[in-house]
Amino acid sequence: MARMKFLCDAERCIECNGCVTACKQENEVPWGVNRRRVVTLNDGVPGEKSISVACMHCSDAPCMAVCPVDCFYRTEEGVVLHDKDMCIGCGYCFYACPFGAPQFPQAGAFGMRGKMDKCTFCAGGPEADNSKEEFAKYGSNRLAQGKLPACAEMCSTKALLGGDGDVIADIFRDRALTRGKGAEVWGWSTAYGKPDKQQAPKGAKS
Amino acid sequence: MNQNKARLSRRNFLLAVGAGGAAGAAAIVAKGVPTAQPGAGAANSKKSSQGYQESAHVRNYYRTAKV
Repeated sequence: MARMKFLCDAERCIECNGCVTACKQENEVPWGVNRRRVVTLNDGVPGEKSISVACMHCSDAPCMAVCPVDCFYRTEEGVVLHDKDMCIGCGYCFYACPFGAPQFPQAGAFGMRGKMDKCTFCAGGPEADNSKEEFAKYGSNRLAQGKLPACAEMCSTKALLGGDGDVIADIFRDRALTRGKGAEVWGWSTAYGKPDKQQAPKGAKS
Repeated sequence: MNQNKARLSRRNFLLAVGAGGAAGAAAIVAKGVPTAQPGAGAANSKKSSQGYQESAHVRNYYRTAKV
């Protein structure tokens, strides 16, 4: 059985926030809630790194452990989802999550919290697949349509990988082996290919 | 005598109303039991969700991610 995972390649992420926009557009996420966001480390310093962060669909999810009404559940593919009909908006999951994934709409002036909202790996919720009720509460159910999360599919540099954990791990491993590490990542070979892969044009003077 | 008859009929009426009310309450309770089932239906739909499929669309995404 495939296990759904996200993996962000920090060497490729250009901090365009395309994934954030794609998520908002696809799931019609309300104002004040960002299911996904781009975090930049050492911003403005040469060698800065950006990664796109959302719910990591943990195998041993802290949000699941702390929820007092047990509204979280895990699908067969390892996607951590929640039932908004059961959620009481207590905010425990918000404090438990190390990635800041569960968020609450900040609509009211007096601390109105409503229902928690989080990344669903574009897998909807407990309602019937692609029903109106499911879309209104959780957003699009792309997994049931035979697709992958909109953020990963929209990523222009394919920095954000999403899907079967085994497959994307193999893709990332191939990338890391090809480009090397540290100073090898930068420079001529990254832009134009390794010397052994380059072919001299016919008739060129040596 | 007439007063006694009137009292009796009033009692019978009240008894009849009481019995009818009890039967009505029982009917409401009996109807209320099936309303607990939608929760179970929701639990079933959680399991019956189609979920991830390695479709042509997904394979195409994996292919483009290898670049």
